[in-house]
Amino acid sequence: MKAGFMLRGLLVGTMIAGIFPPGIAMAQAAPRRIEVTAKRFTFEPGEITVKKGQPVVLVLHSKDAAHGLRFRDLNVDVKVGAGGTTEVQFTPDRTGDFVGHCSVFCGSGHGSMALTLHVVD
Amino acid sequence: MVRRVHVLTAAIVLLVLGGCKANPPGKVETTTVTFAKHHVFIRNKDQKNPLPSNAATWADGKEAFSHYCVACHGRDGQNTGVPFADHISPPIPLLTSKDVQSYTDGQLKWILDNGISPSGMPGSKGTLSDDELWSIIVYLRRLPPAGSQGTPDMYNH
Repeated sequence: MKAGFMLRGLLVGTMIAGIFPPGIAMAQAAPRRIEVTAKRFTFEPGEITVKKGQPVVLVLHSKDAAHGLRFRDLNVDVKVGAGGTTEVQFTPDRTGDFVGHCSVFCGSGHGSMALTLHVVD
Repeated sequence: MVRRVHVLTAAIVLLVLGGCKANPPGKVETTTVTFAKHHVFIRNKDQKNPLPSNAATWADGKEAFSHYCVACHGRDGQNTGVPFADHISPPIPLLTSKDVQSYTDGQLKWILDNGISPSGMPGSKGTLSDDELWSIIVYLRRLPPAGSQGTPDMYNH
């Protein structure tokens, strides 16, 4: 009984290894972690350059009120509470310059809060 | 002599203040100003809305509208629950009215950016992003029925 169970486990393991060879797992690039700070109507840094196809972990810190960061064209939207930190992972799938805006109304300068993401090959 | 100067000064002040009295605009005044706004003062007639007019953009516009515009226009754009809508001159227009809806999208964007002076309509450039302002225009083109959205929260307390 026990030997049969181990045999079935070995068989399943062999099948999984055949379906997902090690090379494929290695092909996925490691995510790049980028820290962005939002405070009083600015993002710091105001410009970021990333590579197309490389996963990005965007970490958004707020130093004052609740803020957000939305790249409409990339379908990315992250929101953070007052004084908090949150993160989102995404993979830019096309090159270009994308302007992200604060997506949580935060006061009189809310509309001027912008961050430009350059996606290059 | 000094007394005469005081009387003259008071008379001038009264005349100036009397000239500032706000009466509701008459028909001729309204027609003239409406024509001038549509054809002279409000520019940017040809700019197209870069955002698609779909349900997602409409929802974005509704949310952006709720941050700032509702204070004067109500949640439905038809002044519902706005306590002073009829007490200022010129009165706050219904955003479903022909006067408003006959502006092009580009003109509406110009109005949202710059406001209409000397009416009470302020410019929102910098307060709301371009994305939000264009999405608001999508919302304005398909406003919900009057009264269906209730009173703005700020007037419920």
